Amino acid sequence: MTFTSFEFALFLPIVFLLYWLVFNKNSNTQNILLLLSSIVFYCMADWKFVSLLAASGFVNFYLAKLIAKKEEGKIRKFIFYSGIVFNIAILFYFKYFNFFVQSFVTLLNYSGVNINFTPFHILLPLGISFFTFQMIGYLIDVNNEEIKPTNDLLSFFTYLAYFPKILSGPIERVQRFLPQIQKKREFDYDIAVDGLRQILWGLFKKMIIADRLTPIVNNIFNNYQTLNGSTLLLGAIFYIISLYADFSGYSDMACGVSKLFNIRITNNFAFPFFSTNISDFWKKWHISLTSWLMDYVFTPLSFILRGYKKIGLAISILITFLIVGLWHGANLTFIVFGFLHGLYFVPIIIKGSMNKNKFIAAGKLIPSASESLGVLGLFLLVSITSIFGRSENIGQALGYLSEIVSPSLFTVPTLTNMQNVLTTMIFIGICILIEWGGREQDHAIAIIGIKWKRTLRSVFYFAIVLAIFWFGGNEQQFIYFQF
Amino acid sequence: MDKSEILEKLRHILVSVLKHEKFEMRDDLSATDVDGWDSLTHMIIITEIEKMFNCRFKLKELNKLGNMGTLIELIQSKL
Repeated sequence: MTFTSFEFALFLPIVFLLYWLVFNKNSNTQNILLLLSSIVFYCMADWKFVSLLAASGFVNFYLAKLIAKKEEGKIRKFIFYSGIVFNIAILFYFKYFNFFVQSFVTLLNYSGVNINFTPFHILLPLGISFFTFQMIGYLIDVNNEEIKPTNDLLSFFTYLAYFPKILSGPIERVQRFLPQIQKKREFDYDIAVDGLRQILWGLFKKMIIADRLTPIVNNIFNNYQTLNGSTLLLGAIFYIISLYADFSGYSDMACGVSKLFNIRITNNFAFPFFSTNISDFWKKWHISLTSWLMDYVFTPLSFILRGYKKIGLAISILITFLIVGLWHGANLTFIVFGFLHGLYFVPIIIKGSMNKNKFIAAGKLIPSASESLGVLGLFLLVSITSIFGRSENIGQALGYLSEIVSPSLFTVPTLTNMQNVLTTMIFIGICILIEWGGREQDHAIAIIGIKWKRTLRSVFYFAIVLAIFWFGGNEQQFIYFQF
Repeated sequence: MDKSEILEKLRHILVSVLKHEKFEMRDDLSATDVDGWDSLTHMIIITEIEKMFNCRFKLKELNKLGNMGTLIELIQSKL
């Protein structure tokens, strides 16, 4: 069951009504309903691994309590590191085992030792990267005494399994989430309506832009050897837009759904394409992952390497972004993708221009010429780098890139079904305009039309709904489910 | 070393690392209030503080810092 499925369109109103009308006695009853519905939601998406989710929850819940009970010393360290190893081992087995063994075997074969390895048939549990990172963060925070472990098993499991975020995040922090669900939530009309608006905008991005673009992108990447450079560049641009529309669309829906229950979760995107440097971009793209890695990887690393000043910072950022790449998947292409993004930070660190927080066109309607150039340059850089994230292997990525930098870049793109492409591009234009208008808000349509007359506002929302029904593409799997 | 002396030295470090003076040194000043004091510059600032006051911090201590006031208390505890 996904947010765009028919089943979810039935599931959500039922849970919503039960939550506010039947299970509304106190925080416990509300959490019982949220937990039960989350289990149903997860089982309908992937029933095979609900026991893994439960095991992860129980182990981390009790380990955190044990860590907090022990005085600082060897035993506490042992329990803490056992917990970290437990979580990483789960992630490693399901996500990376085949990749690392295969890479090791390939290395051995290069050195003359011939070994055959048939990859294990390992299914990837949905949401594993998200819930495992949450659990690791929880143990680290408890061990660092930044938070106290919770004794409330019901709240803890509600946090872990909460259905708006279980499949694709955000990677929510315990300290932000638990206080919200440990008190009774009251229905707030304004927040609920804002949630509906955010869901609507998420549906627009996912069902019109991402779902229409994905087949176009697939077609280009599958036939890259026969296409000219300009078509391939367009393919890379379409891919990064589809990735954004898919994941930020999901993220908007997750936040919107959660608002219906008067629970705020982190918005993973803050209009990242309206940035002029890579540092700013990553502050606005997949925010919960970036901030998690900043707190639990970059900060400890840069602390250890602080004596080396900017070199220490550069090494720390490179390692952090290698992990960003690896987090996205067990493939060399993702590692290169992460490494390149880390590399783009190096000039910023050396120049020290990271100090300048740039808000483009702050308080203005349109950006300046230099801001526009910066935005465009960064967008192209991110689009071209995304070729590594989308390609099946490094060979494909390099072949794809070499055609882009060939003279065929200056020929006319050869796209099939031009009418479909043009219609999609019109919607991309509409999306950019609306997101630009709402770039300083919580989400793109948070205040658009708020001061309009009710009828006009209804027409605006109705137009989005109609557009989704008329122009929505064939349903595509959410890209980030595979991560 | 009294608090005002520490404050002045900290101000000097922030100006030299961040290359601007658009902040007011007060106890409740936090990194988010200061343009450019982000996760990237934070460790450079910390290294300069360690050098200036000839002390060493633990990561755990840094993680608990909330604002300028707590930073000054931490420095005083090290002197």
